Amino acid sequence: MKGRILVVDDDVALAEMIGIVLRSEGFEPTFCAHGDEALDAFRSSSPDLVLLDLMLPGKDGIEVCRQIRAESGVPIVMLTAKSDTVDVVLGLESGADDYIPKPFKPKELIARVRARLRRSSDPAPEHLLIGDLEIDVTGHRVLREGAPIPLTPLEFDLLVALARKPTHVFTREVLLEKVWGYRHAADTRLVNVHVQRLRSKIEPDPENPVIVLTVRGVGYKAGPPDG
Amino acid sequence: MGRLSSRLVRVSRLPARAVRRWRSSLQVRVLSTTMLLGLVAVAVIGVVLSQRISTDLFERRTSEVLQEAARATEQMQSNFDAAAIRTGTEITEMFQYSVQQSLLTGSPDRSVFLLRTPGPLPPAVVNDLVTNEALRSVITPELRAATAAAEGGQRWQSVGIPGDPTDPGALAPGIVVGSTVQVPIAGQYELYFLFPLSAEQETLSYVQRTMTTGGVLLVALLVAMTWLVTTQTVRPVRTAARVAERLADGHLTERMHVRGQDEMATLARSFNEMAESLQDQIERMEQLGALQRTFVSDVSHELRTPMTTVRIAAEVIGAASEEFPPTLRRSAELLMTQLDRFEDLLADLLEISRFDAGAAVLDAERRDVRDVVAAAVDTVTSLAEHKGSWLRVDVPEEPTSVDLDPRRVERILRNLLVNAIEHAEGTDVEVTVGADERAVAICVRDYGVGMSQEAVEHVFDRFWRADKARARTTGGTGLGLAISLEDAHLHGGWLEAWGRPGLGANFRLTLPRRAGIQLTGSPLPLVPDNPMPHAPAVHAETEESSLAREADPAAIPDLDRLETR
Repeated sequence: MKGRILVVDDDVALAEMIGIVLRSEGFEPTFCAHGDEALDAFRSSSPDLVLLDLMLPGKDGIEVCRQIRAESGVPIVMLTAKSDTVDVVLGLESGADDYIPKPFKPKELIARVRARLRRSSDPAPEHLLIGDLEIDVTGHRVLREGAPIPLTPLEFDLLVALARKPTHVFTREVLLEKVWGYRHAADTRLVNVHVQRLRSKIEPDPENPVIVLTVRGVGYKAGPPDG
Repeated sequence: MGRLSSRLVRVSRLPARAVRRWRSSLQVRVLSTTMLLGLVAVAVIGVVLSQRISTDLFERRTSEVLQEAARATEQMQSNFDAAAIRTGTEITEMFQYSVQQSLLTGSPDRSVFLLRTPGPLPPAVVNDLVTNEALRSVITPELRAATAAAEGGQRWQSVGIPGDPTDPGALAPGIVVGSTVQVPIAGQYELYFLFPLSAEQETLSYVQRTMTTGGVLLVALLVAMTWLVTTQTVRPVRTAARVAERLADGHLTERMHVRGQDEMATLARSFNEMAESLQDQIERMEQLGALQRTFVSDVSHELRTPMTTVRIAAEVIGAASEEFPPTLRRSAELLMTQLDRFEDLLADLLEISRFDAGAAVLDAERRDVRDVVAAAVDTVTSLAEHKGSWLRVDVPEEPTSVDLDPRRVERILRNLLVNAIEHAEGTDVEVTVGADERAVAICVRDYGVGMSQEAVEHVFDRFWRADKARARTTGGTGLGLAISLEDAHLHGGWLEAWGRPGLGANFRLTLPRRAGIQLTGSPLPLVPDNPMPHAPAVHAETEESSLAREADPAAIPDLDRLETR
């Protein structure tokens, strides 16, 4: 449960304050204040989660996010001052799992971090079938005809949530609660963006999805298993 | 029936349309005036000319005719004088001969009448001789009397000659000239010559026809010229008007074509210069405005990072406040609550800057307005309870669906309610919902301190305070009503205020029930007819309970109480 967290933020005071809060909750924070150094810091500290400010000197947060995502599925949570702009969607599309709009309360930060680090500690081996995919829930793997498909933990959680109840239609709000851990209504853009990302990895043809289906006006549901 | 009435309508509209054309088009007015004046002038000139010509023709012909008649009379008289006549038969022969002779010279188509002057019978009576019996009637008894009395002199009269075979009633113009001849034995006879004026009439008609044709052509030419001139003058004016209209519609790059060096080109150039400077001004203002809006937005965003740090620090301090001495603990509390207020202010500033930048979008859905009202009222019950005001909500019995953005409308109502409760001073606050087919109105009425006229005018201004000395207790940002007004406008709705000092205030929100409806009125009056609260009111939720205070952890401390105690 406890883990290493890389805080990428150029505002030293805020980074220090976040560090104090994280430490008080038993996490192990490391810091980086420059966009150009973020990737090196990520490689050297190999964190369990990244807190990433979108506005950074050097490479901006979106670019950093893309680079980290290119080599790792580690959860990335963005910190953003502009919650109503395209920056949020851009950040999510470049691979961030969640975002926290500034100003936030420490409880909110901890809740978001915990939700991303939470792993199901279900010991029973569980296998799910969805479309032509086989999901090894305990092994955290998705296989198509025996070959594994790399997914980020969040994408994996999203797929599992849908696959556990095939034919059940999930609203975006329900998915936000199940996958992201939001108790209150939150930004449904999170769901839309991540469904798109998931589809681009698992659908044979992302334009005509057969595994994660859209139910117009309601939400999403899993396609039936093949055969 | 329908067609008839529609035709009637069309006919009755015709003059109205003509009047409109007349009023709206300078060209139509100038053309009509020119045509009318031209026609009058041509008609007057035509009448005068034609009269002059006809008089002239008549006078010339009359003098010719008189001379001719005199010559013929003289000839006949000399014939009679020279002849040795004894019998009536001879006289008759003589008559015929003379008349034949007189017809040979002069105008060929004249008629001759030789009539005996009435009087005592002479020795021999000879019958009257008339070349055209049908025209005998044109010689009037008056003329005959005058001729007989003239004793050899000429008498003439202009007459109408009947006998046009195609038109029996028509009379052709003619002149009758009479004089007397002395016939041996038979006594005095009157000799009349009837000269038709058909040739002159024809000439006159020809001249009149020519003049009419010429006049019409002249007027047509005049109108055509006027049209040409007015078109040349009016077209640039029309173009200018059109371009000005486009400019007014916001197409600031619109310009007139400049051609040549004349007055119109000068007009176009001046016009373009005006448009240019107008565009410059507007663009400068827009840039300034945009700069300022970006600034506000940037400031709000830039404030967020340090705000977050302070916020987290305050929370960390707050978490440990149990161990602090009382003053320090209270300070930590104040720090946190005021941070909430600061955050609200920041959020409101950002919201206002979004409106100013035109970035606010309406997220409308069809909702029962009663639900929205209920949700908004729910959020303020604890505040009402804290302030000791009763909330009375009066909604229609049937569902009242309205296209609205629930987040915004709820925010408007919450602002109005908080505002009302804050100023009610413990009196009732009433929420009334009224609806008709086109609009829904929600009134929030309180019976507290009320507002002066000045306050009513400024109550929606940003950061405006009714009473500068009055301490804020609920910690509003000063932007709430300004944002509410923008929210109402975003819906195409109205938000209005009424108030009287001591009588309370009434805020009325009117929203169109469907997108696209233009509001023309509101289902509820803005000026309330009841100076006193409706009695008896139903209490808002519960009696004074400790729950209300605890339910809202972010409750703002009562500054009034803090300062006075």
